[in-house]
Amino acid sequence: MPLAEEEVSGIALFIPEIYDIVWSLVVLIVIAVAFYVVIMPKFQAVFDERAARIEGGIAKAEQAQREAEDTKRKYEEQLSQARVEASKIRDDARSEASHIIADARSRAESEAEQITANAQRAIESQQQQAMVSLKGEIGTLATALAGKILGAKLQDNATQSAMIDQMIADLDDDKQ
Amino acid sequence: MGSVSDAMLLAAESGPHLPSVSDFLPPEILFEGTPFAINRIILVRLVATVIMLTVLIITARRAKVIPGRWQAAVEWLLDYIRDNIIYQVMGPIRGRRYVPMITTIFMTVFIFNLCGIIPGMNIAATASVVMPLAFALWVFVQYWRAGIKEHGLGGFLKEELLPAGVPWPIYIILTPVQLLELVLIRPISLTVRLFANMVAGHLLVATCYAFTQFYLIESAGAAVKVGGALWLCGGLVFTCFEMFVAALQAYVFAILATVYINQSYPEAE
Amino acid sequence: MDIITLAEVAGNISLIGYGIAALGPGLGIGIVVGKALESTARQPEVAGRLQTLMLIGAAMIELLGLLGFVAFMLAM
Repeated sequence: MPLAEEEVSGIALFIPEIYDIVWSLVVLIVIAVAFYVVIMPKFQAVFDERAARIEGGIAKAEQAQREAEDTKRKYEEQLSQARVEASKIRDDARSEASHIIADARSRAESEAEQITANAQRAIESQQQQAMVSLKGEIGTLATALAGKILGAKLQDNATQSAMIDQMIADLDDDKQ
Repeated sequence: MGSVSDAMLLAAESGPHLPSVSDFLPPEILFEGTPFAINRIILVRLVATVIMLTVLIITARRAKVIPGRWQAAVEWLLDYIRDNIIYQVMGPIRGRRYVPMITTIFMTVFIFNLCGIIPGMNIAATASVVMPLAFALWVFVQYWRAGIKEHGLGGFLKEELLPAGVPWPIYIILTPVQLLELVLIRPISLTVRLFANMVAGHLLVATCYAFTQFYLIESAGAAVKVGGALWLCGGLVFTCFEMFVAALQAYVFAILATVYINQSYPEAE
Repeated sequence: MDIITLAEVAGNISLIGYGIAALGPGLGIGIVVGKALESTARQPEVAGRLQTLMLIGAAMIELLGLLGFVAFMLAM
């Protein structure tokens, strides 16, 4: 099989042509300049900026976190203060309530006592009154009865009053 | 059977248009005879340069802090070159000033290698011996410069040619080898590795497609067509392989350049 | 080509030379990659560094194979 139309020696591959050298160098220098001057600095700048952004972002986030922690601490302080206050108020209210209850109770008790005492006194006076009026009435009634029963036997006053007294004493004894 | 032998006869008569060394020595097509003559490889090289620089400069111009998809891809590549090639070998302090150089070499070699499988170009822009040699000489200059700057010319030569901790009779063998390595082997190995890879890759892929063309289109007969289809599969596989080789050779070139420059620096970090 | 000739050896002795030249580097790269894999299995935390070193070593060995290829090209 034919390898090539025109036989070329392989050694020719390794013998550089002048135009090849020229164009290789031109291409290499152009690429190197482009990389050194334009491409790498630009990408480096972008990398640096990104790093700075990220670091800045981290710093900002840290600050925000610190602020949030501050706020939280403040809020918690306020909360505990409020809690203490509330419990104080509750205690106060409770003690006041018990005070009020005790007050009302004592007032009611004294009132009740007063009422009881009044009632007692009224009962006693009525009893007295009833006693007095009863005494009088019983006296007359008894006298009248005795007069009717005894009639003639008891004409003099002395005997009459002695008998009445005797009767009352008996009544008292009976009552007891 | 008859058709196969017919095809064999046909093959014997005309034969596929196989690639050869002359592919890498194409005729001049512009400015013939002047130092600025342009042939196919140089044309590919110029077109690749223009496209690469245009794309990268537009990307750089439009680069934003929050990257788009394309910018993120380019940045990933640049980051990879910086972190996984330069900083891993040299460390960030020493490597910082070589970042643009190694990036230039990597990107250029990579794009130029890829031209070998881009339809319409079909030959790597690094497939003439001067282009890899130019990169290699750049690396050569850089590692000599770094060595002389760090130790002085005498110190650098002493460090490299008469390394400490070796019994003196060894120097008789070691010193010429080291000198050869420093002056010739390093640049030539860089050049030959890249160049030979590109030549071999082109020959491989072009051979596959030449046989595909010949057996599948120009020959008749079912069995021969099946053979042509197999050659086509081989061509596709080797095209993908060439893509991998393009990236691998760019990586190897860049990392060896970094290693050579790093060796010019004193050992202690 | 004579129709009676069933098999014909055609080509260049340098092809065989390149085939032989590819042997050594093939073995070498095999050893390098195998050892790198072993080391990675033993110490996965330095896998990245090992890979870099493996590729540097493989590139050195590959050069030998490519020198064979270059010699083959030169002889064409």
